[in-house]
Amino acid sequence: MKANTLKNNDMLTINNVTKTYTKHGMTFKALDGITFRVEKGDFTVVVGPSGSGKSTLLHTIGGLIRPGSGQVLFKGTDIYKLNDDALNNYRKKNVGFVFQQFHLVPWLTVYENVRLVCQATSCIKAINDYFDKSGLLPLRNKYPSELSVGEKQRTAFIRAIISNPELLLADEPTGNLDPQNAAILMDMTRDFHKAGGTVLLVSHNPETSTYAGKRIILGSGKIL
Amino acid sequence: MNLFVLVIKEIVYRKISSLIILLTVLTASAVSVTIFTLSKASENETRKIMREQGLNLYIFPKNTNLIDFYSVNNTPSFPESCVDSLANSRTFDAVRHLTGILQLRYSDWTDPNGSLHQIVVAGYKDEAMQRFLSKQETMGFNVPAGTVRVGALLAKNIPEGDPFVIQGADGKPHRFHISERLTEGKGILDQGVAFNLADLQKVLGMEGQINKIEALGCVCHDGRINNARKQVQAIFPDLEVTEITSIADARENQRLMMNKYGAFLIPFIVLSALLISAFLFYSNVLHRKPEIGLMKALGKSHLFITGLFLLKAFLLGITGSLAGFFAGSWMAGYFGKKIFLFTAGDIGTTWSIFGFTLLAFPLLWMLSAWIPALLATQVDAAETLSQE
Repeated sequence: MKANTLKNNDMLTINNVTKTYTKHGMTFKALDGITFRVEKGDFTVVVGPSGSGKSTLLHTIGGLIRPGSGQVLFKGTDIYKLNDDALNNYRKKNVGFVFQQFHLVPWLTVYENVRLVCQATSCIKAINDYFDKSGLLPLRNKYPSELSVGEKQRTAFIRAIISNPELLLADEPTGNLDPQNAAILMDMTRDFHKAGGTVLLVSHNPETSTYAGKRIILGSGKIL
Repeated sequence: MNLFVLVIKEIVYRKISSLIILLTVLTASAVSVTIFTLSKASENETRKIMREQGLNLYIFPKNTNLIDFYSVNNTPSFPESCVDSLANSRTFDAVRHLTGILQLRYSDWTDPNGSLHQIVVAGYKDEAMQRFLSKQETMGFNVPAGTVRVGALLAKNIPEGDPFVIQGADGKPHRFHISERLTEGKGILDQGVAFNLADLQKVLGMEGQINKIEALGCVCHDGRINNARKQVQAIFPDLEVTEITSIADARENQRLMMNKYGAFLIPFIVLSALLISAFLFYSNVLHRKPEIGLMKALGKSHLFITGLFLLKAFLLGITGSLAGFFAGSWMAGYFGKKIFLFTAGDIGTTWSIFGFTLLAFPLLWMLSAWIPALLATQVDAAETLSQE
């Protein structure tokens, strides 16, 4: 698959990306020549078994893992040719992350965890609206240790989208949730997508594919 | 949310480790302030003892008969300008404080009741400090012009409020305001009167003359007398240096020993506290790896992440050093008053090191957090955030 020609609607172009890890003298190819495109407004699900390179791919796109070779182009700019500050800005302004383990800051309240990413006043004002819609408003002053897993993941999700990122990167967001909470979270993800957001979601749960317009199957670091 | 609020919230959340770091700063600064304050108190105490109980060195004319010095009225004299010459000499650095004195036996002093007494009269020139040595507080026994301090035995013969009157060499009575009636136990001065040098010179008709120099605060340590003697005689071959050993010597040696002890103890305690803090900051980084990874994923800069640790170190450092300064001052006051009996009342807060304490300790604690903070910026966000 060739992806090095940028089209007008392209948000993300992954071009022949490889990533190799060496552990205990053994070389392991986590990503092996991955190439694909994500257009603005896409809802793409990357599925595959554990160890297939899904998370590595997501973190590479998020600017957290530098690939061994290849390019990650965001709107035509190779993010790994940016300096540290510009790469931080790329993440801050364009990307929202949701993780399987939520990663809420334990010493901040629900409200403060979301407030952490807000720069603009409009962003701060929107927090309560999101809390209201997701049933978190009564919990806004609680600490993460006082929340259920579903509430934690909803908080993490709102933190990811509160600053209106163009791209939402979700790494197994329903991995720790019961079916009911998983459905709530996927509905929230769908709402974000419907509002014009671009979603790239990694999961080993085939059901998540039902929400997506595109599906990429990964196996042993390659697109199958 | 600004960095300050985040750091405060994290400190409050991790109370125990933050409290231990705070205690390390507090202990280090309190011990340092205590030792420094006690060292200063010890210096003052030594000075006081040296002044009250005996002096290091006396400088006399070479032909002075020291056996008769306190009982005759015609000991050899020399120009008082010698004091200033020694104080301003680059080659005389054995002694810090120099006081020119004219001291004689005055045979026929008539008290207000008309009785005759033999008394000791001593005129004190204002203390001269050696120009080329570091400055210290004066140690001498300065007497303002026009006033006298009368010894305890003499004072018994003069009614309160009366002036001190003495017959001058010019045959006229000279009157002086008694500024102080000394308590007993001042040695030869119990039966004497202390004048301003110029006043006594005028009374005795010995303008410009002194007959000894008290040299205080010897900085020659070993072989002091020989060193001082050589230096004085190189400048004034007709003068002689005599050492009068006293309890002050022992106290001075004790003070020097304490200073050496403090010079070892302060860095040792500060360094130990810094190492404990550095370990706690490192442990803090390990505990906070997921938080740091998250901050990176949220687009927070290296500077912001470093700031989380350095600002924490600064805030704990400044709080600890502030508390440590007052705790140290209190300890110095509490223990110092039991150790230094002569100057107990003078031991107080050493404000001269307040600014230094508040600057040095936060900076040192930021330094101890520096490597952990740099390690924090190297945390692999992808690795910590994908751990299940």
